Amino acid sequence: MNLSFNEKSAIGTLVAITAIGALYFHSAWQMWQAGVLQPQTNFGLATGLTILLVVVLIAYHILIAIISRPEDDDERDRLIAWRAGNAGGLVLGVGVIGVVLHVLIGSFWDDPVAASPVLIVNALMAVVFAATAFELVLTLVFYRRGV
Amino acid sequence: MGNAISNQVRELRDQHGRMTQQALAERVGVSRQTIIAIEQGRYSPSLEVAMKIARAFDAAVEEVFELRV
Repeated sequence: MNLSFNEKSAIGTLVAITAIGALYFHSAWQMWQAGVLQPQTNFGLATGLTILLVVVLIAYHILIAIISRPEDDDERDRLIAWRAGNAGGLVLGVGVIGVVLHVLIGSFWDDPVAASPVLIVNALMAVVFAATAFELVLTLVFYRRGV
Repeated sequence: MGNAISNQVRELRDQHGRMTQQALAERVGVSRQTIIAIEQGRYSPSLEVAMKIARAFDAAVEEVFELRV
């Protein structure tokens, strides 16, 4: 399969955010279950894994830039980025509104998410991860199936 | 994704001394991947790129691209 630099970038980014996102949410869930998920520990976990994600993505992009010479984006690349970005933005918007409504409605009873800023933050982070993953999957679909 | 526009890009490349996809891409100013996508019907180019492709073959746009009804 002949993949462009942008496709390799999307695949690597998707794998990295899925793996590190799973690691983050698994760790956060375990800390929550153990009753030690506080804002400070959550901030430390999120910061550490964000740095790890950035380092992994930089190393990966250096590697694929060496293997396959990156080309300037043309109109097809820009169209794919625009369409996938729009769809990802829609998922992000719907997700954020969903979390906000959940917090508002859940505050009428003792909903744990509505009562905990840490859980609200994690719900929003899950939305960001999901929207980014969706955008990357759509990018790959558009490159392979057509746009 | 459906594509309502068919094209003769591959045939015209062959007729023009087996012009490579890379050579056509460089003349048109797009990536080789985009030329491949156009030939396979996975992407309909903009009017500007369609006219540049036609110019590369000294042909009219409608000789290269055709709207499928």
